[in-house]
Amino acid sequence: MYSAPFEYVRASSWPEAVDLLEGGGEDARVIAGGQSLVPMMMLRLAAPSLLVDVSAAADRSVDLVDAELVLSALVRHADIEHSEVVRGSCPMLTEAVTHIGNVRVRHRGTIGGSLAHGEPTAELATVAVAEGATVTVLGPGGERAIPAGDLFVTHFTTSLEPGEVVTAVRFPVPGGRRGSSFQEIARRAGDFALVEAAATVALDEDDRCLSVRLVVGAVSDRPVDVSQAARPLIGERIGEDAVGEVARAVAAEIEVGPHTHAGREYRRRLVSVLAGRALLTAADRAAGAVHTDHGNGARA
Amino acid sequence: MSTEIADRDATIVAPEQASPDASRRGAPVHHRDFVEKVAGTLPYADDWGFPGMLHGVVVRAQLPSARIVAIDTSAARAVPGVRAVLTAADVPHNGIHDEASGLGVDAIQQPVLAADRVRYDGEPVAVIAAETPGAALEAAGLVDVEYEELPGVFDPEEALRDDAPAIHAGGNRYVDWRSSIGDVDAAMRSADLVVEETYRSQRVDHAYLEPEAGIGWIDSDGVLTLRVSTQVIEHAREIAEILKLPHSRVRVIASYMGGGFGGKEDMTIEPFLALLVWRTRRPVRMVWTRQESLLARYKRHPFTMRYRTGVRRDGTIVAQDVRIVGDAGAYPLLSSRVLFAATVNATGPYRVQDARVESTAVFTNNVPTSAFRGFGAMQVVFGYESQMDRIAELLGLDPAEVRRRNFVQRGDLRVTGEPIDTGVGVGECMERVLAELGPPSRPSGPHSRIGRGFACSMQPYGRSVFFADRASAWIGLEQDGTMVIRAGVTDLGAGQAASLANIAGEILGVTVDRTSVHIGDSALTPLTGGTFATRQLYMSGNAVLKVARSLRSKLEPVAAALLECEPAQLSFEDNRVSVGDRSLTMAEVAQAAEHQGVMPYVHETFEAETGEFDRETGRGRSFPDYTHGAHAAEVEVDESTGQVRVLKYVACHDVGRAISMQRVEGQIQGAVAQGVGYALSEDVELVDGVPSSTLFAEYLIPSSVDLPDIRAIGLELHPGKGPLGARGIGEPPIGPSAPALASAIQDAVGVRLQRLPMTPERLLDALQAARGASGSVAS
Ligand SMILES: Cc1cc2nc3c(=O)[nH]c(=O)nc-3n(C[C@H](O)[C@H](O)[C@H](O)COP(=O)(O)OP(=O)(O)OC[C@H]3O[C@@H](n4cnc5c(N)ncnc54)[C@H](O)[C@@H]3O)c2cc1C
Repeated sequence: MYSAPFEYVRASSWPEAVDLLEGGGEDARVIAGGQSLVPMMMLRLAAPSLLVDVSAAADRSVDLVDAELVLSALVRHADIEHSEVVRGSCPMLTEAVTHIGNVRVRHRGTIGGSLAHGEPTAELATVAVAEGATVTVLGPGGERAIPAGDLFVTHFTTSLEPGEVVTAVRFPVPGGRRGSSFQEIARRAGDFALVEAAATVALDEDDRCLSVRLVVGAVSDRPVDVSQAARPLIGERIGEDAVGEVARAVAAEIEVGPHTHAGREYRRRLVSVLAGRALLTAADRAAGAVHTDHGNGARA
Repeated sequence: MSTEIADRDATIVAPEQASPDASRRGAPVHHRDFVEKVAGTLPYADDWGFPGMLHGVVVRAQLPSARIVAIDTSAARAVPGVRAVLTAADVPHNGIHDEASGLGVDAIQQPVLAADRVRYDGEPVAVIAAETPGAALEAAGLVDVEYEELPGVFDPEEALRDDAPAIHAGGNRYVDWRSSIGDVDAAMRSADLVVEETYRSQRVDHAYLEPEAGIGWIDSDGVLTLRVSTQVIEHAREIAEILKLPHSRVRVIASYMGGGFGGKEDMTIEPFLALLVWRTRRPVRMVWTRQESLLARYKRHPFTMRYRTGVRRDGTIVAQDVRIVGDAGAYPLLSSRVLFAATVNATGPYRVQDARVESTAVFTNNVPTSAFRGFGAMQVVFGYESQMDRIAELLGLDPAEVRRRNFVQRGDLRVTGEPIDTGVGVGECMERVLAELGPPSRPSGPHSRIGRGFACSMQPYGRSVFFADRASAWIGLEQDGTMVIRAGVTDLGAGQAASLANIAGEILGVTVDRTSVHIGDSALTPLTGGTFATRQLYMSGNAVLKVARSLRSKLEPVAAALLECEPAQLSFEDNRVSVGDRSLTMAEVAQAAEHQGVMPYVHETFEAETGEFDRETGRGRSFPDYTHGAHAAEVEVDESTGQVRVLKYVACHDVGRAISMQRVEGQIQGAVAQGVGYALSEDVELVDGVPSSTLFAEYLIPSSVDLPDIRAIGLELHPGKGPLGARGIGEPPIGPSAPALASAIQDAVGVRLQRLPMTPERLLDALQAARGASGSVAS
């Protein structure tokens, strides 16, 4: 198919992007890596009248400042994949991005685009919620910060106001005995996920759980924070039985949407399996144990 | 003797040579298409264009069963730039007639454009040509078709009921085949054990890299000319019938294809392009989108196969009773032939003294099904091989041993009563793949289990003998000693053209770099018949071999006279004709020949062996010959998620003689990739005739990351009926993947899946069912 006709401009700064969007009216859209927008235009699921290209609006900077990892919205998935700074400060990002599409997609797609798109299977959205990231946005009314947990509303819908652009994403970098894990199953290498589970675990000196976060992605209309269900683990040494109970409880409760290639019950079972694996792997990593992979490594 | 060829650039084996390795000689042979494809410079069908060409699109029905009440094209015509909007009323002869079986099955004319009735979702109802693709698309959206929805039927079993809505006047039972040998009922009663199981296969898309595409124009001499991605240039005649033109006024040129796999064996865009070109008198280009290709292009037949096998305690098969139902979709196309192939091949490479096979092709309101690599004879591999494993399991025998006790041999009879008249290498292939898997891998995690399985197969090559198949070719030498080959073959990407250069070069000594092969032009190249049924090497290869030998015998006296020797002493090699240390260049031979009035070119026709088949009794001669093989796989199964990863894969086929071992390996690897997709993930899912997705991203062909390295082994054991003893290899390697993987999964986790594709979800369901109510899946 061919896209509907459109106009195209490049912005050289974020404020200019905001101005251009405002001038372009209702049907103006930002384009970053184009990896989601262009396919939608080709299928005529989107028909913007004006594309504001933000690729040159800022650098693709990755900075570690004051216990915070700050990524420019233009940072590409491949930048994350290969950044030692990211790996050292927020390893869940490194682990998650390898699941995104293929090498071509990862070299063009951006974190800002991924979060703004609001696709419920986006790995980076699940990680952002699990790691408690904050999204910096700029709009006609100035700059504001949105906690990732408040950004995703439903399928392809975020709490960004019309005319707002994402400029940066900030991930907290807490110290201590902390481990994380990102687990995913897709039908085929590089496909959008059937189920994702992301967990972080902090342990005290005695290997007892200080705090735990658990987020399930790709099954509902947005990443679902189910940390509450993992609370029974706090104060305990994390083991298979307790984790199994948490995982089963999460799977029983969570809302699972339809999918072309998988039934609801099957995906619910996968939630239980992956939530369990994510929690156990995160706990192992926090304990500094040799990295036992509770997954089967079924993706490349 | 090891016959596996180490030299990957090997070209050809002379039949008289004892050791194929010793005969590999000369420079590496790469036909130009290798390099051009990798470099991206080879022009595919949609790379061709004309100044001032129009762009064509097809308007398709959006429901599977309806009466067309009215079509209003006025809004579409009013779009600026639109040059034609054609409906059924504009088609001079609105019917495609192909009696596919060759045995007098009633054919139903399929309309080019639906006239009063829509029988499947996506059926073409109108075609549009416009100055820009955008205008054509816009107009397509404005064609207003008023439908009266009709009840549809989507399940073949339901379609066979008396009260099912009839899709065609003659009812939904399109064709029945029946073949039998001996007394199957008595033999079944004498069996120690009767194993009865039902196996199901799914609807599959060809998913070629290149979608359906082409360009058409009217040539300066008024000939309607199409350059399209097609397997069959002979469709020129059908196109002429549709337009009511003399056959000589239509010319089809086949571009190099980015894959066909049978999907471009029936016409694709040709009739639509032809109509638009003829009506507008302008060049027109048409390229189908992935979405419309997935929606409406003909698929592989889903089969339901019920196998009842009687065996003795030692695993010997005494009776085989098979019943197959195939979903033909809304139109006949090649269904009669596909079900015929299924019928005569349903018993596999195993001896059958008492056997019966019955099959039926059924019309439904699903997208039509037709040719696809393996053509009915591949679905049944899942049936007969699963059955062999089940027999071994129930009798507590080694599955390889059960097969050894039943393998056919030369001279054994098939269910049709005909003998197998060439050597059978299936046993050697099986032993080879079992030995090649090497030590077992270790599981990668606590929930993972490793398993291994294998499967054997026998797949025909060449058309059924009652078609009295023929292929012609022309070979000539230029005055500078270079060679020209003309043959109407189409090249799907498997090197059909290159193989002809190899074969002629072997006889005439002209190297590939000094050979030009002109293919695929219905006006200028001698017709060979289409590239399908793994027939092209067999047919065109034999034609070229025959022509090359005939040309050589014309040139030999000329050269012998000049070299003062006997013709039989001459050798033709490296662009020279020589005896001892005296030689002539090919140019000198060509010039001398012409000077003497011996024209250095020949045109001849190869005629395949023929035979009769009786449709009533199901007995007679079916296929000329078979290619045998075996595959083995190792998988890792995650018991908690049902995910299957293929860790190792070995595929081995007896190819008789490899014309090019590199291409043999390529065919095996490609077929295995397609076979693994068929086994584990691919499925065109329809809900009441409507696809649940037409996004290519959601059609699950395996990617390179999902596949292991595929070890392909071509053995040269028993000469076949192709040129120099070659056997066809295009289709045969696609059959064994599904049963080999089913048995590997069973080996890993203890459950056997009988329905394709074997998805993680189905596997997990089966595991849970096997564990019963008590079992809980560990997380
Ligand atoms: C074959 C394929 C496979 C893929 N697989 C995956 C996968 O497995 N997982 C996954 O998560 N993604 C996947 N993707 C999508 C990919 O990750 C995209 O890169 C990402 O979703 C969007 O980023 P982008 O920079 O390409 O955004 P674009 O496509 O340019 O834009 C997407 C949307 O975000 C808006 N937007 C972009 N940047 C900004 C900004 N700074 N501020 C405000 N709005 C903005 C656009 O207006 C548009 O609405 C796949 C894509 C393809 C083509």
